[in-house]
Amino acid sequence: GKAAKPKPAFTDEAVQTLLYKMTGLDLHKVFRPVKRGLKPPNYKLMTEAQLEEATRKAIEEAKVKLIMPPVLNEREPIDDVLADDKVLEGTETAKYVFTDLSYSIPHRERFIVVREPNGVLRKATWEERDRMIQIFFPKEGRRVIPPTLFKDENLGTVFQQDRHEDVLNMCIAQFEPDSPDYIRVHHRTYEDIEKHAKYDLLRSTRHFGGMVWYLVNRKKTDGLLIDMINRDLLEDATSLITLYHMLHPACQSAKEAKEGKLQGVDLIKVFAKTESQREGYIQLALQAYEEAMATSSAS
Amino acid sequence: PFFRIVAANSRRARDGKYLEQLGCLDPLPNAHGEKVAGLNLERLRYWLGCGAQLSRPAEKLLGLAGFLPLHPMTVTGAERLRRRRQREQQPEAAPADGSAEPGSAA
Repeated sequence: GKAAKPKPAFTDEAVQTLLYKMTGLDLHKVFRPVKRGLKPPNYKLMTEAQLEEATRKAIEEAKVKLIMPPVLNEREPIDDVLADDKVLEGTETAKYVFTDLSYSIPHRERFIVVREPNGVLRKATWEERDRMIQIFFPKEGRRVIPPTLFKDENLGTVFQQDRHEDVLNMCIAQFEPDSPDYIRVHHRTYEDIEKHAKYDLLRSTRHFGGMVWYLVNRKKTDGLLIDMINRDLLEDATSLITLYHMLHPACQSAKEAKEGKLQGVDLIKVFAKTESQREGYIQLALQAYEEAMATSSAS
Repeated sequence: PFFRIVAANSRRARDGKYLEQLGCLDPLPNAHGEKVAGLNLERLRYWLGCGAQLSRPAEKLLGLAGFLPLHPMTVTGAERLRRRRQREQQPEAAPADGSAEPGSAA
């Protein structure tokens, strides 16, 4: 048999560099003006050197803004009984939720217990924990009861308005990264984007890496590949295929690429022939790209 | 109503000046049917270490929470309630039987 290398995780350096390159760095989109109170604009007069310095600092800040939120597996439900006092049966009508309010404990390790009316003392479930922590240690942007926006029926309306990025930002503020709601909302958003090929909405945001990870894990990369070739982003296309090979080393195109040590357009062609469903579209897109290169170099 | 769990001098008024607030209790159930209580266990341990005494309701609450063992009066109160409910049910059963028997006999 073959020795199976541990599957690359989201946090690996190589994976992160590939995803970061694909995300792109469009300063105009990252620092798009957020709706705030009206103030007259601020004009500055700078020399060339100062302008370069300012752009460099802007790129640093943009890198901080583009740090990808973590992708974790769903958390296991908590089900732990600490005590059972049958004598208390019938004395109370409602359950008591006790939260430990000590300031210096991380929220994950906080003690939150529930005393049920039948006398059972159990640890609180994840939803109860999130609610109590938000009540006593409120975080900005988070509501105690999650907004109705995150229900499946309402997500459709928001997607029609092309506001995927806002939904994902709100979701990051509201839920923990390993909660089932967070994962469900993210998957719904990625599915919708993939169905309508609206990849450009997330292109220069911090959600792009997560979307690419989701698509590559489920082998739905064809639409994204076509979109990249249509926008003349060849390096991004090659890094997408390299990531695909890293995650699925047993597939046909990965073996061929390793044998032939292919680069660039050849890699895409091999990938299109062996792995993709929409081979025709990819070939067409590649042809159009090559014609465009030929005409631009000729003229 | 809203209760505050507080470290204070025992001679002070109920709502008077206190040394430190250690927690709170909302006795009315919320939309999810829970009575929310918060306890700052770290500071509670400090005050207990300094030699503070707990009032009876505070002891009962901490017994319910699991920080202290269950208070004996909680157990006694539960048993008394159960006995009172049984006694209320028996007189209902007895007159009901008494009124039903003559009806069936006659």
